[in-house]
Amino acid sequence: MTNTPRSRRLASRLLGSQEGIVFVLAATAFVVFALALPGFATPGNLVSLVRSVSVLGILALGMAIVVIGRGIDVAMIATMVVSVSWAFVIARTGYPLAEALVIGGAFALVAGILIGALIAYGDVPPIFATLAAGSIIYGLGRTFFFTLEMQNVPPGNDWFDFIGKSRVLGVPVTVIAFAVLCALAHFALTSTRFGWQTYAMGSNPNTARTTGVPMRAMVIAHYALSALVAYVAGLILASSASAINARLYNSTMIYDILLVIVLGGIGLNGGAGRIRNVVLGTIFVGILLNGMTILDVPFTIQNLVKGVVLLLAIVFDSLVNPRDEQTSQQGDL
Amino acid sequence: MTDVVEFRDATKAFRGNPAFRNVNLTLRKGEVLALVGENGAGKSTLTKVLAGLYRLTSGELRLEGAPVQFASPAEALRCGVAMVFQETNLIPSMTVAQNIFLGAENFFNRLRGVNIAAQQHLQSLNFPVEPTALVSSLGAAKKQMVEIARAVHHKARIFIFDEPTATLTPEEKQHFFALIGTLKKQDASIIFISHALEEALTIADRIAVLRDGQLIVADDAKNFTRERIVQAMVGRQLTAQLYGGETARRRVRKRGEKVLALENVTMGKAVRGATLSVYAGQITGMFGLVGAGRTEMMKIAAGVLKRDFWHGGRIKLRGEPVRFRVPRQAVERGVAYVTEDRKLDGLFESMRMAQNVFLGRLAMGANPVAYVTMAEARRQSERWLDALNVRAIDKNAKVIELSGGNQQKIVVAKSLIQNPSLIIFDEPTRGVDVGAIAEIHHMIQSLADAGAAVVVISSYLPEILSLSDRILVARQGRIVEEMTVDEATEEKIMYAAVH
Repeated sequence: MTNTPRSRRLASRLLGSQEGIVFVLAATAFVVFALALPGFATPGNLVSLVRSVSVLGILALGMAIVVIGRGIDVAMIATMVVSVSWAFVIARTGYPLAEALVIGGAFALVAGILIGALIAYGDVPPIFATLAAGSIIYGLGRTFFFTLEMQNVPPGNDWFDFIGKSRVLGVPVTVIAFAVLCALAHFALTSTRFGWQTYAMGSNPNTARTTGVPMRAMVIAHYALSALVAYVAGLILASSASAINARLYNSTMIYDILLVIVLGGIGLNGGAGRIRNVVLGTIFVGILLNGMTILDVPFTIQNLVKGVVLLLAIVFDSLVNPRDEQTSQQGDL
Repeated sequence: MTDVVEFRDATKAFRGNPAFRNVNLTLRKGEVLALVGENGAGKSTLTKVLAGLYRLTSGELRLEGAPVQFASPAEALRCGVAMVFQETNLIPSMTVAQNIFLGAENFFNRLRGVNIAAQQHLQSLNFPVEPTALVSSLGAAKKQMVEIARAVHHKARIFIFDEPTATLTPEEKQHFFALIGTLKKQDASIIFISHALEEALTIADRIAVLRDGQLIVADDAKNFTRERIVQAMVGRQLTAQLYGGETARRRVRKRGEKVLALENVTMGKAVRGATLSVYAGQITGMFGLVGAGRTEMMKIAAGVLKRDFWHGGRIKLRGEPVRFRVPRQAVERGVAYVTEDRKLDGLFESMRMAQNVFLGRLAMGANPVAYVTMAEARRQSERWLDALNVRAIDKNAKVIELSGGNQQKIVVAKSLIQNPSLIIFDEPTRGVDVGAIAEIHHMIQSLADAGAAVVVISSYLPEILSLSDRILVARQGRIVEEMTVDEATEEKIMYAAVH
């Protein structure tokens, strides 16, 4: 009897935030799958579960930084496929792969800076700027840089396989990369001037401007960072699959990134959320996808389930944490 | 004449702070009633209750003898009350005819039919407006006509105008007065809020003066003179207890170096050739009524707004010409602007107190990867939070959970931590409790004593008089009067500020 208040407090903490709700959902899904599916709770499957979503998680890290600063970057996938594909094309013309990768990275960086400049100086709403930039980048890439959809990793570069295919102490390098990038992003957001000013911009851009935050430089930095993160994610993806497929641009990947962000509890209004929300969202999506794959659920049904879960999380959140007029007014997409 | 509208013991309070209280006021059929008073006297709130935007906290509102409570402006309009706002409520991308019929459309609308009906309606009112013109292409006066036409079309009998002449040219004003005459002939009742006392004296049948939320006097216009109105607007006893005496026994600070000079600064229609100077070591008070451009002048000086590129005038900071494109440049040069609207651009509401204050400090540096911790933020902000006596139960409280007074102190602390040499306070005590007012005033005084150049913009005369060493009065985008606090009286300032 004595621990009733404590358990009640725990329950209200868990259900009192979207983060908690998603945590409960993820745990429930985990337990259900573990009990129902014999192969689910094995160490091998759990490692492959995390590995399968780490690219998504890395992309979500880049997106999280932009979204916390009250922006959105839907050009990430375009930047990712074009910069990596171009690097491979250059490498195949005779350059060493390492040099070609630097050029690819530089392309991603320039693309990010240009998008940021468009938003910072041109006052274009981020959703439109990045939507347009995404199709421009993809169009440019397919027209001038490469024609084949599928770009294989240039042969004779075994070291490149390391990041996507090998393991250190039994842990896939991909997962380690995700963990390291999470740690870096967490440090940047919580313990640097950059991070604090990012939260400030998301919390109230007008105040940030009046206070003297260098808004334009910050916006450009956000999009440059997310483009670089997209490039890194693309490299890992290409390494593990031995190729990069430009068609990813037309897939639902960008929505999956947003799914991870929103499910994890990073509000699209900006100024809220932490890296642990990205991790939580990534793992939840991973559990769902992995479980459904073992169950052999068709791809279209999987998408349907993702959509329903997202909707439920949002509806449940707004029932448990009703927003007043003022918070819902500011900065909806 | 019969009473159309009657306020009986009407009180409206926001979170316990009354905007007006115990007001007894009537509006008769076919009369023009002018409501005058200082900013914040409660005029707008009073009329907004009648227009259905707010509900009374206590007391009652009677419409033709029957008590009413409007749930929405639409309901008020159905009962015949229409409000014409300062910023018009029309939809700019639609035509005049569509706007007139807005909210009264049939299920199927024929554009031609609507245009013809609108044309007839406009002609019957004698308004020279083309029904097919887009509202966005019209001038201020014609927009007003459309709004009135819409109200008449909705069979309104009571019209409320909030500062109707503020945006009009003299010629348009004449047109507007003729229009009021037309409405009067049709037995409509009109309330209009104005800062232009001459207008009130010439076109109103009766004048009601509000001060600090109370109805001071309501009488026939012929019994008023300009002087009597001004006196009724400013004369106070209650507030004298809070601010009284300070002016008399205070020494006036000597002016130091000239820190800021605006020369002929122009920005659109809000600021039209403003010239002023601010000196170190003293407090410069700025008074003006709504639309005088005080805030805009100072926002230009702080880089929040940009003056016109061509013929925008000159700004000098310590004798050196400057043109700030963003506030950051001003902040780096030691200029801080403490906003009048802390919700809009003063606070990071979702962040903690220490974070808010420390972000002001962070904005000073350039290295983006500089290491920052919460402990550091607490340590650095503590000094300013203590100096301003911020009282919160929980040191980790988010700013949104604090009271208005504490929130304002956070905004002030966020600017002070930047160690500015020119600091501009825009309405520093708006929505702040009495205790916090005293503490913020004390801080402002000690900043000037320490040698900073301080500007205080306020719509509240006792505040201006008790704080400033030197007073500037703004009107229509210019500084029209400069005086020392010794020669200033409330009447003198108000006289300069009204048209």
